[in-house]
Amino acid sequence: MENRSTLVRNYNYMLRGSQTLSSNYLIKQLPKATVFLDKRLQVVHASDSWIAYFDFSNDAVFGKNISELFGEISKDWKTVLNDCLKGKSSDVGVERYSDNENEEKWFEWSNIPWYDENENIIGIIIQTDDITTRVHNELKLEKLEVLLREKSEIAKIGSWEYDILNDEITWCDMTKTIHEVPLDYAPTIEKGIDFYKQGYSRNTISMAVNKAIENGTAWNEKLQIITAKGNEKWVIGAGKPIFKNEKLIGLIGTFQDVNDQVLSQTKTKENEHLLKTLIDHLPLNVFIKDKESRKVLVNKSECDYLGVKGPEEVLGKTDYDFYDEETARITREDDLYVMNSKTPILGEERGSIKKNGEAITFLTSKIPLIGDDGGAYGLVGISMDISNLKQKEEELRDLINVTSLQNKKLVNFAHIVSHNLRSHTANFSMLLDFLIHEKNEEEKKNIIGMLIDASDNLLETLENLNEVVAISTNTTLEKRPINLNEKIKTVQQNLAAFLLNNNAKIVNSITDEVYIKVVPAYIESILMNFVTNGVKYKDPERDPIITLSATSNNGYTILSIADNGMGIDLKKYGDKLFGMYKTFHDKKDSRGIGLYITKNQIEAMNGKVIACSEVGKGTTFNIYFNEKD
Amino acid sequence: MKKINSIYIVDDDPITVFGIRKMLDSIDICDNISAHGNGKLALDDIKKSLDNKGQVPEIIFLDINMPIMDGWQFLEEFISLPLEKKVRINIVTSSIDPFDMKNWGLYKSKTHHIITFNNKPLKRDHLKEITKAA
Repeated sequence: MENRSTLVRNYNYMLRGSQTLSSNYLIKQLPKATVFLDKRLQVVHASDSWIAYFDFSNDAVFGKNISELFGEISKDWKTVLNDCLKGKSSDVGVERYSDNENEEKWFEWSNIPWYDENENIIGIIIQTDDITTRVHNELKLEKLEVLLREKSEIAKIGSWEYDILNDEITWCDMTKTIHEVPLDYAPTIEKGIDFYKQGYSRNTISMAVNKAIENGTAWNEKLQIITAKGNEKWVIGAGKPIFKNEKLIGLIGTFQDVNDQVLSQTKTKENEHLLKTLIDHLPLNVFIKDKESRKVLVNKSECDYLGVKGPEEVLGKTDYDFYDEETARITREDDLYVMNSKTPILGEERGSIKKNGEAITFLTSKIPLIGDDGGAYGLVGISMDISNLKQKEEELRDLINVTSLQNKKLVNFAHIVSHNLRSHTANFSMLLDFLIHEKNEEEKKNIIGMLIDASDNLLETLENLNEVVAISTNTTLEKRPINLNEKIKTVQQNLAAFLLNNNAKIVNSITDEVYIKVVPAYIESILMNFVTNGVKYKDPERDPIITLSATSNNGYTILSIADNGMGIDLKKYGDKLFGMYKTFHDKKDSRGIGLYITKNQIEAMNGKVIACSEVGKGTTFNIYFNEKD
Repeated sequence: MKKINSIYIVDDDPITVFGIRKMLDSIDICDNISAHGNGKLALDDIKKSLDNKGQVPEIIFLDINMPIMDGWQFLEEFISLPLEKKVRINIVTSSIDPFDMKNWGLYKSKTHHIITFNNKPLKRDHLKEITKAA
């Protein structure tokens, strides 16, 4: 600015007394845009650069008033120009101007009085500088500063600067606010470091600053400070050295309050940790599957259950990798159902078979994961292995079945007893009543004969009942392995005459190696009963053939005794076949006790008997001997 | 007293048959009493009579536990016979099984015939009471 004024003064000197010149070549060629105005503010001289800068045409400039040329000029400038005419040299000013194309231009002006040789003011010399770019840059900078300030306020980022030579540190207002110190607070580097929490934070920052000064390294650390008001805060302190001519002259850095973020992150982490601990230690299998039923999360139980060391062996795989085809197909169907219908499956029982053939029963729940778009993007699965429970349940059910069966048998037996005894006593009572009132001697004898019959019947009934009770209560009888064929041979010998008389044949396909675990006394009676029955109820049209065979299945040896007799309609009589005193054929020697006793004997050995029959074809009895207990 | 045309005793126990017959004779109510050893024999007889336009019993004394065809099976078939005239069926049993009592109720509701349930032994006065044409 000093230079420019000097220059103007030189022109002034040069031009003194030359005001009459219409065109001064010196002025015309001045490199700086310059204009000479007379006292009426009319243009007397102008440099070419001035005319060009404002885009005026040559003839339209000279003799024109400055206001005419610029349109309206600012009040300030007008005052300055008038002052100048009174001999007051002035500073510079800035004026805005719109050119012919309406483009905004900024120029800086400086004016000085124009003197003639007698030191009289005859006008004003004005020099202008195009400062459009500078103005624009300044505006931009101002904007940037505003922006930066706002940003720093929003992000709670402050800055600081340390001048090593003068050992001076400056904090911006935000940095002070974060430290909760007044805005006139004067920090030092030591005080700054002391704000950091003792221990890790303070050590870290001390070392970082030292290293930056010694080695010129930058730092960026998340640390804790204790503010002037005693609050603990998480901050990110960053700093880097500044060099001038390769010499370290200071440090500059930012200081950000991240307390809220850190606390919420910590909270999130805690929650995550809690959730993970919970999921991992739940005694349930927990997994998350994606849309393709690939597992994307599994907990420890699921890993243990699948027999893998860690989740990485499971993630990305589907049930097809761990279960048999059928099981995997069913689980995939469940998955699709849950995801498509967006309805959870809760606590449903599912069986599954692992690749190694192990069968498992689960209680499974699947809950769809619904995304922002309303569609399911996967599911959460929770399942519990209830195989043990299931087995217990089955055992319990078996036990209940046995108990209720025994109970039923007991009630049935009670009815049999009461019925049979009652029918005999009723006869006694009736016959005795007759006897008392009977006059006829012959009839009396007849009645006494019947009383004897009734008495015999009662005795026989009691014996039969006794036999049944003996079977059901005789738990001392030990089961031991018996060679089946040997027993069959014994029975065959005992029945030799009976078989011969009936032209009966026994076909035995049982091998000599078959042993069954039975009570020896019972097996003979059982064989005897079935064989005799088969012959007794033969079809009158054909000779009886009894076929014996044996198979083994599921802990049972199954003895089949098939005859070609008349058969029995099981639909009609099935529930009574093994009942006491039930006879179905009009045969003189059928007492209706044999099958009842046989069945009791089989059941006393934990076995069972199943009959199938077709009228006119024959009957087959399958006797299950329990080999386990 | 009006005499009964025909009485059936359906029971496999000869002593019971003897007793009922003897008591019926003593009240002189019927000249045509027949005994049948089980339900099937009795049913076959009734069917035969029906075919020959013969007499159907007016009163039946029916035992429950019998071989071949028991009392209930007999009833099942009997109530499906095309008999317009009411027949009185007196069940005579030593059973105290609640199942039998239930069955009695069931059959009573299924037929227009009269069915009574009587426990053994039958007394003469009670027998007189239940030996009337339906």
